[in-house]
Amino acid sequence: MVRLSLAMILCLLMVTSGCGKAPSESSSKIKSQDPASVQNKGTIGFSALTLTNPFFKVIADNMQEEAAKHGYELIVLSAERDVKKQADHVDEFLVKGVSAIILNPCDSNGIGPAIKKANDKGVPVFTNDIKYDGDEGKVVCHVATDNYQGGKLAGEAMVKLLGDSGGKVAILHFPQAESCQLRVKGFHEIVNAHNGKTKNAKIEVVATLDGGGVRDEGFKGTKDVIESNPDLAAIFAINDPSALGARAALEAAGKADQVTIIAFDGQQIGKQAILEGKILCDPIQFPDQIGKVTIEQIIKYFNGDDVKTEILIPSKLHYKEDAEKDPLLKG
Amino acid sequence: MIFMLLLLVILFSVLTVKQQHPTGANAGDQVGKTILAQYGKGARVLVVTRDTEEDRGFAQAAIDRLKAAGADVLGQVNGSAIDARKTIESILAEGQTIDAIAANDVTAKWTVYDRFPSVGSAKCVTPKPYMWPNFLKLSNLMSVANQTAIYAIIAIGMTMVIITAGIDLSVGSLVALASVSSAIFIRDYCGGTEASVTMVVLGAFVGIGICAAAGAFNGLMVTAFQIPPFIVTLGMMMMASGLSFRLAEGRSIPELPSAFFWLGRGQTFGLPNPVLLMIVLYLLAHFVMSRMVFGRYIYSIGGNEEAARLSGVPVKRVLLAVYMICGALAGLGGIMLTSQLSAGDPKFGLMYELEVIAAVVVGGTSLMGGQGKIFGTLIGAFIIAVIKNGMNLTDVDPFNQKIVLGAVLTAAVLIDRLKRHA
Repeated sequence: MVRLSLAMILCLLMVTSGCGKAPSESSSKIKSQDPASVQNKGTIGFSALTLTNPFFKVIADNMQEEAAKHGYELIVLSAERDVKKQADHVDEFLVKGVSAIILNPCDSNGIGPAIKKANDKGVPVFTNDIKYDGDEGKVVCHVATDNYQGGKLAGEAMVKLLGDSGGKVAILHFPQAESCQLRVKGFHEIVNAHNGKTKNAKIEVVATLDGGGVRDEGFKGTKDVIESNPDLAAIFAINDPSALGARAALEAAGKADQVTIIAFDGQQIGKQAILEGKILCDPIQFPDQIGKVTIEQIIKYFNGDDVKTEILIPSKLHYKEDAEKDPLLKG
Repeated sequence: MIFMLLLLVILFSVLTVKQQHPTGANAGDQVGKTILAQYGKGARVLVVTRDTEEDRGFAQAAIDRLKAAGADVLGQVNGSAIDARKTIESILAEGQTIDAIAANDVTAKWTVYDRFPSVGSAKCVTPKPYMWPNFLKLSNLMSVANQTAIYAIIAIGMTMVIITAGIDLSVGSLVALASVSSAIFIRDYCGGTEASVTMVVLGAFVGIGICAAAGAFNGLMVTAFQIPPFIVTLGMMMMASGLSFRLAEGRSIPELPSAFFWLGRGQTFGLPNPVLLMIVLYLLAHFVMSRMVFGRYIYSIGGNEEAARLSGVPVKRVLLAVYMICGALAGLGGIMLTSQLSAGDPKFGLMYELEVIAAVVVGGTSLMGGQGKIFGTLIGAFIIAVIKNGMNLTDVDPFNQKIVLGAVLTAAVLIDRLKRHA
């Protein structure tokens, strides 16, 4: 009976690994017709922060497409925010002999030893979206949204909204993430510049709360803010989920018409909310661009071109008019 | 169990057979010979490698072989494709031509050579590839053992707890608590990156001690107040996690001296320290469980607690000790993880309790208590590690991996059931 169960497990395993194997088998066939080494220039390993967040899925899909165009195969693994798991992924990439490694570091410091290991084996490491902070290993190039510029755009949208009347504003922050710090910094800069110019229509930031970047924290934070500031005019949320949490709190308190929300990101749910008028506008990120540009840098690197150490992709303001043009959204 | 592990090893060895590309001195020598045979003794050669130890050996051997035969080594690139471009540019600027490029598999794949019409990647001469499974590479086997060591060490304590018919859900959070508390202790009281070796050892014991205390608390609640272990340790899981986030203020703590990294990243006798520690602890635990009275007490409590008490086993003291050992080993795991990843972090250890319980159960220990072997757990931990590693090496989709691991766990419990009824 024990043997039977063992056989069962192994069958299952064969089936699953069989499914996974199909693409790599076909690629090794290409390799064996050797002049076609142009066809397969090697593999690139990508360990994503998580694939359950659509943002990173879009990055992964676009990288896969772009890599295939240039004759590289991209292996995608998901570290699910666990830095040890990500370090293990790097080990496995090195065993497989990948040409390059792309990471969304799960921890800006903790991934250092793994990057160092790749450096020692001569495998170049690239990062996108999340930057590696330590000094132990070396990253060739980092590609991300220009969060500082995006924060400024959010500030400009806020000035456009409240520039003539002034009003109280709350910020739903996520201070742990460097990207969000930059967003809020850019936002403050524009708002402060406006306040310096005007006398009566000052935009006053009355509260900065940790919205955790998630729906329920955004909901709770906003509830508290409208308790203490019943005359709140607007909220700047550092991403879409916390903005939608805020919106739910405003609706529950009957203040949805009084308080306008400006968010950040431009995920599908965010764009949908803009279309429905729940969020005024988002400075949107372009994960597809992030993915493509990252692969382009790898191609450039192997081509012997100089590669910049950091590439920032500017974000753009996305209003209801833009959302209406989007064929992917339901009206 | 060991039979199944062997089957898995064979399975993944077959599935991961791939072309391997040699590098290092022998390969360099071979490439040198090939170039001499193809282009004659007057060949003008460029040697292109990366700046790694193996590649330097490759380059040196190739250059020695070529020079000994009188060939002309135009230049040597030791770095990236960008360096290769610069070197080729300067060689061409001097009006020289390149007959051949001595490269290894990786540098030959660079596209930089095609920028120059007179060079082209067709001029690359690379060492002959051979077939060997990726899974059976020494570096892979080492990294599997290294990746498993922490789970396996925590699983020792968990095996003991489960043999007493208990469970400990708090180990994952205790990993984080040990990591954070020792990192903070070293940062605030021992001078952070300047801390001496003695202080590092002290810091590690502070983390382990706190976790042992937490384990003792679990044990006390279970024995003195008869609260089910599931509930007690669930409570501890939340408390320890909350406490570590609070202590670390939600951030990671990288201010650690390099002496701290020896445990997780160093090597002794050619084996990574975590693996060595794992082997020592398993031998010790096996001795305790099979040769010592304490071990026999643990089995008898799991078999029938009432009968054990009536026959004079100090049930409460033994249970307290078992939960304390489990906590302390989770703390040790946390210290090792901190050492491996060079920072203390409250996010460490997430879901470890499930990984560890899975290893124990797959290893044949019964959740009903009274049955199980320490080495079974070690094999269980390796079965899970080998499946994970093998699936990553064979490019199984990340979502499918979860399905397989879940199925393996269920099947292991099924086997446990069938055995009992058979």
